[in-house]
Amino acid sequence: MKSVKRRTIVAITSLVVLALVAAACGGSSSSGSNANGSGAAKGGTIREELQEFGWTSGFDPTGEYLGTAWALYDQMLMRGLMTYNHRDAAAGGDTPVPDIATGPPTVSEDGMTYEFELKTGVMFGPPVDREVTSKDIAYSFQRINTASLSALYGNYYCGVITGMTCDAEKVDTAIEGIDTPDATHITFHLDAPVGDFLYRLTMPATKAIPEEVAKCFTKAGDYGPYLISSSAYMFMGSEDLDISSCDTMKPISGYDVQKGMTLVRNPNYDPASDSTEIREANIDGLQQAINTNYDDIFQRLLDGEIDVAAGTPPKGVLLKFETDPTYAGWLHADPGDRTWYATMNLFAAPFDDVHVRKAVNLAFNKEGVRKAYGGEKRGQIATSVEPPAVLSLSESINPYSANTGAGNLDAAMEEMKQSRYDLDKNGVCDDGGACDDILFLGRNVDPWPEMDQVALASLQPILPGLTLKEVDTSTGYTTLQQMKKLVPISLVPGWGKDYGSPYGFDYYIFHSDGIYSCTGASNYSLVGLTKDFADECGIGAEYDAYVQNNGEVPSVDAKMEECVGKPASQIDQCFAELDTYVMETAVPWVPWIWANNWTSVNPTVNQYVFDQFAGTMSYINSAVDNGLAPENVA
Amino acid sequence: MAEPLLEVRNLSVHFPTEDGIVKAVDGLSFSIQPGETLGVVGESGSGKSVSFLTVMGLINRKSALVEGEVIFQGQDLLKLPGEELQAIRGAKIAMIFQDPMTSLHPFYRVGDQVAEAILAHEDISKKEAAKRSVEMLGRVNIPRPDERARQYPHEFSGGMRQRAMIAMALSLNPDLLIADEPTTALDVTVQAQILTLIDRLQSEFNTAVALITHDLGVVAEHCDHIQVMYAGRIVEEGTGDDIYYNPMMPYTWGLMRSIPRLGAETDRLTPIMGSPPSLIHLPDGCSFSPRCPYVFDRCHQEDPALIAVDGRHAAACHLPLEERDRIVAEEVLSTS
Amino acid sequence: MLRYIIRRLIWLVFVLVVITAITYAIFFVLPGGGSEAIAQRFAGKAPRPEVVQEVKIQMGLDKPLGIQFFNFTKNLFIGDQYGWPGLGKSFTIRQPLKPILMERALVTLQLAVGAAIMWLLIGIPIGVLSALRPRTLFDRFAMMFALIGISIPVFVLGAVGLYAFVYKTHLLPGTGYKPLLEYGFQPWFSHFLLPWFVLALLYAAFYARLSRANLLEVMGEDFMRTARAKGLTERRVIVHHGLRASLTPLVTVFGLDMAGLLAGAVITERIFNIPGLGDLAIKSIGSQDVYAILDVTLIAAFIITFANLVVDIAYAFLDPRVRYE
Repeated sequence: MKSVKRRTIVAITSLVVLALVAAACGGSSSSGSNANGSGAAKGGTIREELQEFGWTSGFDPTGEYLGTAWALYDQMLMRGLMTYNHRDAAAGGDTPVPDIATGPPTVSEDGMTYEFELKTGVMFGPPVDREVTSKDIAYSFQRINTASLSALYGNYYCGVITGMTCDAEKVDTAIEGIDTPDATHITFHLDAPVGDFLYRLTMPATKAIPEEVAKCFTKAGDYGPYLISSSAYMFMGSEDLDISSCDTMKPISGYDVQKGMTLVRNPNYDPASDSTEIREANIDGLQQAINTNYDDIFQRLLDGEIDVAAGTPPKGVLLKFETDPTYAGWLHADPGDRTWYATMNLFAAPFDDVHVRKAVNLAFNKEGVRKAYGGEKRGQIATSVEPPAVLSLSESINPYSANTGAGNLDAAMEEMKQSRYDLDKNGVCDDGGACDDILFLGRNVDPWPEMDQVALASLQPILPGLTLKEVDTSTGYTTLQQMKKLVPISLVPGWGKDYGSPYGFDYYIFHSDGIYSCTGASNYSLVGLTKDFADECGIGAEYDAYVQNNGEVPSVDAKMEECVGKPASQIDQCFAELDTYVMETAVPWVPWIWANNWTSVNPTVNQYVFDQFAGTMSYINSAVDNGLAPENVA
Repeated sequence: MAEPLLEVRNLSVHFPTEDGIVKAVDGLSFSIQPGETLGVVGESGSGKSVSFLTVMGLINRKSALVEGEVIFQGQDLLKLPGEELQAIRGAKIAMIFQDPMTSLHPFYRVGDQVAEAILAHEDISKKEAAKRSVEMLGRVNIPRPDERARQYPHEFSGGMRQRAMIAMALSLNPDLLIADEPTTALDVTVQAQILTLIDRLQSEFNTAVALITHDLGVVAEHCDHIQVMYAGRIVEEGTGDDIYYNPMMPYTWGLMRSIPRLGAETDRLTPIMGSPPSLIHLPDGCSFSPRCPYVFDRCHQEDPALIAVDGRHAAACHLPLEERDRIVAEEVLSTS
Repeated sequence: MLRYIIRRLIWLVFVLVVITAITYAIFFVLPGGGSEAIAQRFAGKAPRPEVVQEVKIQMGLDKPLGIQFFNFTKNLFIGDQYGWPGLGKSFTIRQPLKPILMERALVTLQLAVGAAIMWLLIGIPIGVLSALRPRTLFDRFAMMFALIGISIPVFVLGAVGLYAFVYKTHLLPGTGYKPLLEYGFQPWFSHFLLPWFVLALLYAAFYARLSRANLLEVMGEDFMRTARAKGLTERRVIVHHGLRASLTPLVTVFGLDMAGLLAGAVITERIFNIPGLGDLAIKSIGSQDVYAILDVTLIAAFIITFANLVVDIAYAFLDPRVRYE
């Protein structure tokens, strides 16, 4: 979700917002739920404003790839086999739990068959008004499998579940590897064992979708305005949807992508089919309204006209939150499961020498950059690639411990001396051809310029040839994506998880599949680049030079295949080994922060819970005491 | 002599500016008899237009210092309140201007503009006013006046427009028509037509006319009485014949030389040398002295008074009369 | 006149085609654009080629550029599956653009017309009174106001306005658009008041200066002297002769200003959260929603070109000297 791809899609204005949502601070100031605990008052309507939804696929769960949409599906609107408890990591929010499934699946010994039993009493909301069956789960997989519906993370299933190829022409094509012997049982047959399969079954695309409505929408994104609830809440006005035929359906009134959405309680929802551990369902409604004026959103929050606003508050408001005791507790910083890093290109001199890349890791002033970014509340200093909530072992992977945060120039120079680009062995990159005029790509968007400068200052003693060039965020990403540009080093990128298991995080950024086109790589450092692809994208000469000087191009492909096939209990250990290899041998990154997400809430929200999976506030487990009924919210 | 229609007594119009006071008109006195045609001649800046704009009340009194008296039909116009002056303006004293191309409002039909003048002073219906405006356009020799009345000024030629201006001016049968350079912007043939028209209408309506021009030739033919102005004052006055056949002051001579005359020996016209004096710093003595070819010491010391030469013929010049007679005979009339 | 109008309309169509082509080129041909890049943005991270191809087909990006452009233009003139004119479907909103654009154009129209009424009512009287009393205290104050009004950027004025009237004093209800038919007059009006004013102030200042300058110039015209010489009242001289001549040229300026606003009062719409065309333009550019961008550009071009035509025709009626062949 919080991927590069996604951020290039949304509008520039919200780019800033969403990118800065990712803040950092991990251990020190992370906040769980407010102390109220259980037994929070029921009722009220949470009012939130945002600059725009920025959907990638029209809010159709099969294709939608935006984290805020996932939050709504998973917490409020849809139920699938698996879900999370919609709480923070400390409360287990990063672990899949059964939702429609009565309990954990029966997994065959070879790890290739998963058999689920489904609960009864889980109902679709109006106007469908019937029980959810195994067919409705199978149908969502048929949608994923259909080419015209463009499931954006179809690769988690296609090539994994037997018979799924993601190129079916029709939605009603049955999938060989999914059996629904009766309404309450479903079995998945895999082509190979996949240790994090349960995580993949938490994803919104796999949640129950009623065929009688969804069959009318066979193009990507079209189903969004007609989404039928299978969970505790639904679009306001759902009951007015006329589903007698495809032609009679008009978008549900409680949803307008340009104005906002209002969710109300689904009258068919039976709490007995669910657990209050997962869904407290305290609020009567949720309104998310579009407000193009970001400053105004926060003013309205201060005035109590709304209850929640996500993202970095404008300067004046932030100052209030940080210094004025009246506003203590308004700003929540929660681990956003996103890593911000400096990327180094394995094929651009002088970074084609691993000693240079290591030296950069030792010299980089992570503390300073975080300070320029906004301080500890922004997140935890990163030592490895994966955020701790995704891979708990991550904090113990710290091969550059000599750099305690502020950079260790002595250690960096020692490392640099081993480089072939340090001709006189004085710890400074001084081979003219490679060390002069090295592009350092930064951002011209506040607060990046300041961060770029701090990072640059910490690296210049060993790399005096670094030349900073700052561009806007979108240009920054598109520049990095173009392989031929061979950007040597950049502070632009960040990377967020899809789900709370390491494969979903590492796959696109270190697997050679992450270099899927000459203009669209998400593996900017080009770890695992193959000769063929290098030739195709016009950097064959650089590839040859690398091999000549260093031997094999480091690759994690095989290790990753191995890890993903491990049983769930061994996955983390395997990925810890993979990440250690990445940090010590491939060294494509300087990860500098595991960033936090910021949510500002008015005290009307008397119970604030963070949803680790979605990276947003947990609307389903928080509570508000504004006494508003959703239909009365203007 | 009957009571004059308009008597201007000792009129001064001074404009204070940042550089000093511009004495546009300085101690001017003259009168116009009913039905009479008065010619006012002078170069630009001589004060001829300003003095009559003052008579009309069209000088902005906030930016000008006006002194003296302007007695029209027994009333001092300078002391009249705005509304009363407005009632006289257009109705009893009408004025037409130098440039007929810009003097009509470009957005309104010609007939409506004439009718507007009538409606401003008479309580009649619009329809009636329109009828009278067509009638007036006919009387100023505009062909197909009913059609023409519906046209806009830009559809009229210059001469036509001036006729329309005249129609507008005479539509209320004023006692005095001030014609400020009415022909200057027009072709020579049209000039004659307009002047003939004014002559004719004057006799028809028995209107007194003040004809302001820089062209002595024009006034000589059409005026009973002529006054020559220089630097805000009258420097010579008399009948048309007096001025045309017996000019008695060097500035008038200069004006004579600068007009073409039939039967003159040469086609050469002699402009008056030099340029009009600054109205802020007038020369000592005779204000014409810096440009006068006959200047002598006394001219620089003493400002000559307007002294009668013969009956109402008067001139302001220090030259001995005999000398002037000789110059007129030998240099002015013969050469030009 | 009719022939002139027809010729101008043909010209308008030509202009629209050219503008479409240029906009098209900017988004498809120039670096960073291209069907591939656009499709990839909507195909998720690390998209498989099949997904990219599917997105392309659904968005009409799979054909060669020339054909794409031809189809777009053809749909524009003869309509597409969503009616006439064929404006296509939004990539991000995933809905036909025509009703969206209509709705937003209506919102922008309300913003622009309200602001226009306001700036005419403020600007012209100030300008006229200033011209009638040049160099007085009033004139100096008025022109100082005009200078300030012209100098303050809209986003500053908007923020200050919100602070003063909403956050601090709560005299006005705040941002957002409350449709008249849905919410009634009072909420509609009170939500528009501040955006109208903010938008109007700049123009009011400009119109004050313009009408002052025009009237001052007209006051020195010969026909004004003629009007006075006719014995008209000063009031009639100024209103009937002076204002008519001095304000008519404003029609041209006004027509183009209105067109400019209809084409997108971007900043005002963003500040006051008014879902108009300008807001859509910004969002679409940010999200590379190509057809939405093309449509907004086209609408803007159409409004401006059409407004030019209307202004020219209106001028022919207002100023008899102007006639078209």
